[in-house]
This record gives sequence, C-alpha cells and structure tokens, in this order.
Amino acid sequence: MKRLKKYINQNEWYLMGIILIYSIIVTTQNSGFFTLENFFDVLKGSSGMIILAMGILVVLLSGGIDLSFTAIAMFGGYSAARLMMATKIDNLAFAFVVSAVIGILLGAVNALIIHKFHLPTMIATLGTSSLFSGIMTTFIGTKTITVGMMPKSLRAFGGFRLFEMVNDAGSTYGLTVFIIPVVIVVVVTWFILYKTMLGRGVIALGNSEEAAKRSGFNLFWIRMFIYTYVGLLAGIMGVIYVAEVNSVYAVALYGTELTYIAAVVIGGAKLTGGEGKILGTLLGVIIVRLLNSTLVFLGLTSSWNGFFTGAVLLFSVGLTSYMSRLRSRRNLTFTD
Amino acid sequence: MPGNILEANNISKTYGGVHALDNVSMCIKAGEIHCLVGENGSGKSTFVKVMSGAITPDNGEITLNGHTYRSLNPIDSIREGVQVIYQDLSLFPHMTVAENISMNKMVALGKKLVNMAEVRKTAEEQLARIGETMDLDCPIDEISMANRQLVAICRALSLDAKLLFMDEPTTALTNIEVDRLLKIVLELKEKGLSVVFISHKLNEVFEVADTITIFRDGRKVGDFNSKELSYHSLIYHMTGRNVEYPRYVRKATDDNIRFEIRGLSRPGHFEDVNVKMRRGDILGITGLKGSGREELALSLFGLNPSKSGQVIINGKTVSIHSPTDAIVSGLSLLPEDRYTQALFPTHSISENISSASLPSITTKAGLLDRKGERQNAINMVAKLHIRTPNVETSVQNLSGGNQQKTVIARWVLTDPEVLILDGPTVGVDIASKVDIYEQIQSFASQGMSIILISDELPELLANCNSVMVMRANKVVGFLSNEELEKPDAADRLQSMMSGGGDDFQPSIPVLEAQA
Repeated sequence: MKRLKKYINQNEWYLMGIILIYSIIVTTQNSGFFTLENFFDVLKGSSGMIILAMGILVVLLSGGIDLSFTAIAMFGGYSAARLMMATKIDNLAFAFVVSAVIGILLGAVNALIIHKFHLPTMIATLGTSSLFSGIMTTFIGTKTITVGMMPKSLRAFGGFRLFEMVNDAGSTYGLTVFIIPVVIVVVVTWFILYKTMLGRGVIALGNSEEAAKRSGFNLFWIRMFIYTYVGLLAGIMGVIYVAEVNSVYAVALYGTELTYIAAVVIGGAKLTGGEGKILGTLLGVIIVRLLNSTLVFLGLTSSWNGFFTGAVLLFSVGLTSYMSRLRSRRNLTFTD
Repeated sequence: MPGNILEANNISKTYGGVHALDNVSMCIKAGEIHCLVGENGSGKSTFVKVMSGAITPDNGEITLNGHTYRSLNPIDSIREGVQVIYQDLSLFPHMTVAENISMNKMVALGKKLVNMAEVRKTAEEQLARIGETMDLDCPIDEISMANRQLVAICRALSLDAKLLFMDEPTTALTNIEVDRLLKIVLELKEKGLSVVFISHKLNEVFEVADTITIFRDGRKVGDFNSKELSYHSLIYHMTGRNVEYPRYVRKATDDNIRFEIRGLSRPGHFEDVNVKMRRGDILGITGLKGSGREELALSLFGLNPSKSGQVIINGKTVSIHSPTDAIVSGLSLLPEDRYTQALFPTHSISENISSASLPSITTKAGLLDRKGERQNAINMVAKLHIRTPNVETSVQNLSGGNQQKTVIARWVLTDPEVLILDGPTVGVDIASKVDIYEQIQSFASQGMSIILISDELPELLANCNSVMVMRANKVVGFLSNEELEKPDAADRLQSMMSGGGDDFQPSIPVLEAQA
C-alpha cells in the first residue's frame, strides 16, 4: 500500500473514482457504453489531446503556461497538408517532419521571447498565439481543406487500424494507429521528466527559479527545451488532428487551448509550478474526453460538454485545494 | 600563511557612492567557527556575496586555499569549497529530501541522467555525516524548518564544502531545534570544516564562536576572540554606543479592567486562558514555539477560532470570527512573519500604513482621501522614526527594522484598545530594537494595552509589567511587575518555559496579584 501511495496520489484516486462512477452510471443507462468499440473510439478521440497534454504538463511543471500550442498545432498541421498538396509529395513522414520542424521553430521563438525579455509566460504566449495564427492565415492561407483535397497518405493514416473486429451490426472497428505516437510521447515525456537532469531542471525551475539558478542549472537551455518540446508535440498533434478530422478549417483549434489546459489541471498539475504527474494528466484527459464524447449515451446533447467539464474541474481542483487548506490550518497558516 | 582557508585583503565595494564594504581584510582559519555580527546594512551580507563570487569587489584580493583571485566567480568559489546557505535556503519545496540534498552535486558533476539509487545514496551519506536520519522521500514542504536547514547543510556538504557560510540559520527555529543545529555545527567543526556563522542572536554567537568579527557601516571594527567579548562590549562595538533597554513603568491611574479573556480554549492549541488587562498594561506572553502562544494570538485576531471561553472588551463580550471583527472590536495583531503576513512589499509606505484604516480616510462620497492617507503616513514616519526618503518609497526597499516599524504604524493608526505584537523585533537590528521598545512603551503610556509575544527574555524584562508563560498549550505561570524586577526573573521564566518546575497555579488571573 505504501508503495502504491508513492505512485498514485490522493487526487488521482479521486479521478479514478470519478471515472468509475461515471462509467457505472452510463453503463446502467446505455449498454452501448461499456464495449470495446466505444473504448477504442474514446481512445482515438483522446490521442491528440494526450500528446498536447504531455507538453502542457511540462510547461506547467516549470511554472509557466503556454497558450500558443493550438496555434502552433494548426500552423504545423495545416501548412504540412498544404505543402503536400502543392508539392505533390504525398508522404506521411514528410508531413510529420514539416509540422514538427515548424513546431520546434515556433516553440524556440516562445522560449527566446520569454527568456530574453523576462516576460510572464502567459503574456508572451498569448501574444505569439495571435502572432503565429496571423502569420499563417496571412501567408499560408485560410482555405478549408476538404476530404477530396486531403492527401491520400494523411487520409490513410487517419483511418488506419492496428487490428480490426466486427461488431454485432456487422460494421468493423479497431484500435487506431494513433496509439503508437501517443505511447511514444508518453514514454519519452516520462523518461525526460524523471530520468534526465534536464527534466529535473524543468521541475526545479517550477519549484523555485532562484534556487534552480543557484543550483547551477542553465535556465536558458531549460526554457529552450520546454517550449521547443511543446512546439514539437503541437506539430505532431497537428498532423494527427488533420488526419483524424479529414477536413480542415485553417484555424479550427485556435481558441480551444484552455480546454486542454483544463484537462491537465484536472489531472492535478498546479499553475504555480513544480507539481503535476503523468498519471494524473492521463486521467484528466480521459475524464474530459469521456464527458465530451459519451454524454450522448445519457441522451444529453453536446451543449452539456462545457457544463460537465467545468463541474469536474471545479470539483477536483476545489477538493484538493480544500484538503491542502485544512493541512495549512493545522500548521497555522491562514493565507491561502 | 598556512592554516588559513580564506584570506580577504582590502576588499571594497561601492554602490552609488555608498561604501557597502570599505577596505575590509579578514582571515578564516581551517576548522574554526567564525561569527560575523553587525547591524543590518553593516556589510556582512555584501562580504558573503563577495566570497561566494556573486558580486565582484571594486578593490581587493581573495585567497582561497592558497589560490589568489582578483575577481572570484561563483564556479571558482564553489570549486575552492565555499558554500553559502542563504536565509531562504533555496530549496525545492515540492521535491523530496533526497533530491534536494543531491541535486546541486549532480548538476556540478554535469550528469545527464538521473540515477535514483545514487541520489538516495548521496543523501544518506550526507545525513550520516551530521548524524541524522530523515524520510528521504518526503517532500521538503512537509518537513520542519529545522530539518530544511539540515537538508541545506547536507546539500552543501555533498559539494565537498570546506568553508560554509550560514546566513541567519536559526531565525525560524524553536529553541530545541537551535540547540540541535548548533551541536551539528560544532561537530562539523571537529571534523575540520570552517563555518562562518551570521546571526542576530548574540547568545548563539557566544555559544559557538571561536572568533567574532564585528562590522559597522561597511568597515570592520575588529576580530575578537569570543572569550574577550561580553554581551555589552559586543553591542557597543556593533552600534558604536552603549545601549540600554529602557525599563517600562506603568503610569496610568485608571485601574478598571479594560480587556479580559475568560477560560478561552481551543483543545490542542491552548486551554483555559485567563487574562485581565488595564489601560497601559504591557503583558508579555512567552513560551517555546508550539506552546500555544502564537495559536492564542491568532485566535484573538479572528483566525484559528476558539472553541469555548469569552473575550471581553470594556465590559462587553465580543465575538471575533475574522480579522475584520477583531479590528472593529479594537484588537490588532502584528503577525510574526512581517514579510509574508503583513507587508505589501511592492507598495508604498503610505499605502502599507493606511491599509488597515481605509474607512477612516474615506470621504463621504466613498472615495479615498489620498491627501489624508499621505498625511497620516508622514505623521507616522516621523513618530516611529522610520528611515526613508519619503512615504512613496516601496516598502521592499526598507531595512528589516524600518519594515517592522511600518507594520507597527499600520496597527497603531487603527487606534486599537489592545495591540498584540507577535515577535516585534525578530530579525531587527539593535538600534531599531531600541526605537521599537521606546515606541511600544510610549503607546502604552498613552493608554493602549499591549500584549507582547516574544521568546527574548531581555525584551520581556524591559517592556512588560507582567509576563504569562505557556507550555504545552497551557498557561503554566506568570510573573508580576515586582517579580520581574528581581534578579532571578530571567531564570524563572526560562525554567517555566522548559518545564523545570516553578509552576504557578494557572487559574490565578494575571494582574490581580500585583493590584
């Protein structure tokens, strides 16, 4: 039990409880919920969000916040698709390389601005978010890419399943290929955060910038890593998004960044930095996606999505905050 | 010269025409405990920063282990074995004990990957060196201040420290924890480490120091063998004058009870507290940290609510559930930690002073009377001798003593019936201390009733006309004015605090014995 406690914290138990209770309720209302097919659907729908959430977790751990990742994802994904159409290079690897390079470059811009001008990360990325989006719509275009125009390799990627099954109604379903980049990103993020000094530096920076500096960490390179990593993940997510929806409006994701951040915060990451875990983040994303995609099983329209996401956010964050407040009261601290 | 780990020669540093350090030379021997004392702004901190390579002096040379540096950088300083533990400790609050101890070493070794087994091994080794054990997986923000201090020491030791600077390491510690820390420092010395110890608490300085170097106004007054100095001669050298704390004498003639606490309890924090105070009384409350004194003060101010008992002001029972209630009822609290609990560091002196009295400077139209606010601030700055160019200066630019006076000004401006001062001179230099005592006494003479919470016995003896002692959440005794004037008063207070007998019956109301 003590061992388990080390890996799963209180907040994560709450989240698992919420998922469990929600699943039981929905299952009793609709037998279609508790099926492998639905599980695979939720998984596919969560893929992009999990990838971005790993990046957001890294930024939040460092005590920063990034509002520009949706702009970067669209910049990368949309530009890659357009470039493929223009050059007739219909190759998936090409799409990923183009989008990833764009993501890394834009992330580096964020890092430079934040480090050199000592700007609050929220202001800096709020600015670059509009900037990146503006550059893209001005110079690359705003034309919606329809299904027919979509490069074949992207369409194939979006529909590819690692294995397939047939349901009672006779239609096929299966596990999306997106699971491969998702697993890679989660494992790589875990490795960087917990097994490298770079990752420890990110967390150290989020704990106390002054102490991190005095410890001898090179804050410039740490910031450079943080924001280029988010940029890279946004680039990867951009391609997955384009492949998934199959018909892309140029600024589709722009403006949705707070939903992604909310998922990570539900997962237990603190905006004050230094606190947050991969397991919690995954649970946070699963909750948000579950609510977004399975309320129909309860006969509720999608307009209830925001309501439930907000309620879960306030409940989980409020509960942990209340618990820590009780703890500080015991230590005679009344400031929070 | 062999045996000297550090030799500083003719170090000068000027900031905007002001000498922070003026031609200071000093030697630190291997295996000695060397204390630096001096008032705030006397140059101690600048000296430490020069030795750590954080700032480059305008003049002078530094020789470490026989290597002479004209300008020392932080990397060279660390390589020569110099480690500084700053007052804020610079720990990572959400990281574990093991990681905090090992992190700097791993960075210094240029590690790319984290080996948790190695991290734990480093932590265990360093803890063993100071003879301590700790839960290695516990996050720093869940361990005591004393243990955090030890973690910072272990971190320094892991980097092969030969010379350890400790800046005010005991400020946030309880007496027992201080003893434990000083014991560890003495043990480290036995093992050949040199320690430079900076403290405002002179009794600690005398307890550990081999050599004491006194700073005043950026100059070195001299190096003294600690046996050559007495408490009084040390203070004389620090301040350049003889300092006597004035002893308070109550002059008020109105002996009606103005403030009364009856059977106030909060189980686990304080139990059955009874107090009666008249105009002009200064009641000391003392006890070790955790004895209930701070819990009681917070409760009177509407935080940490009591479970039973009454608070009576001018014959009326008041119910206090928030600081606002307390202020309206005439109770004000100067909290223990001025920086996090009282000040708005980036705001001006005038805004800091007015912040608890905004209704009184609001015009009929509901707008702030900025002129009145400024005038109040100017009056208070003059009254309390706050040293500042003007009232618009932001409070973070003031010295500790002047910051504290600003907070006192805020509460005095609310014109409280009862002013509770929790540790009013913690981290304040001697000159400001005398100033603050004079002010406390003059407010009392004008009729305010003051509760002074402190663990500095000279402070209590100089200012209070009765002292209540708490131990383990209970009132274990009190000394009346006559008893406080007797030569054994300090010893009696000390033994009551630590539980060495001499307990009074706690039910005796405080001031009846002297009335």
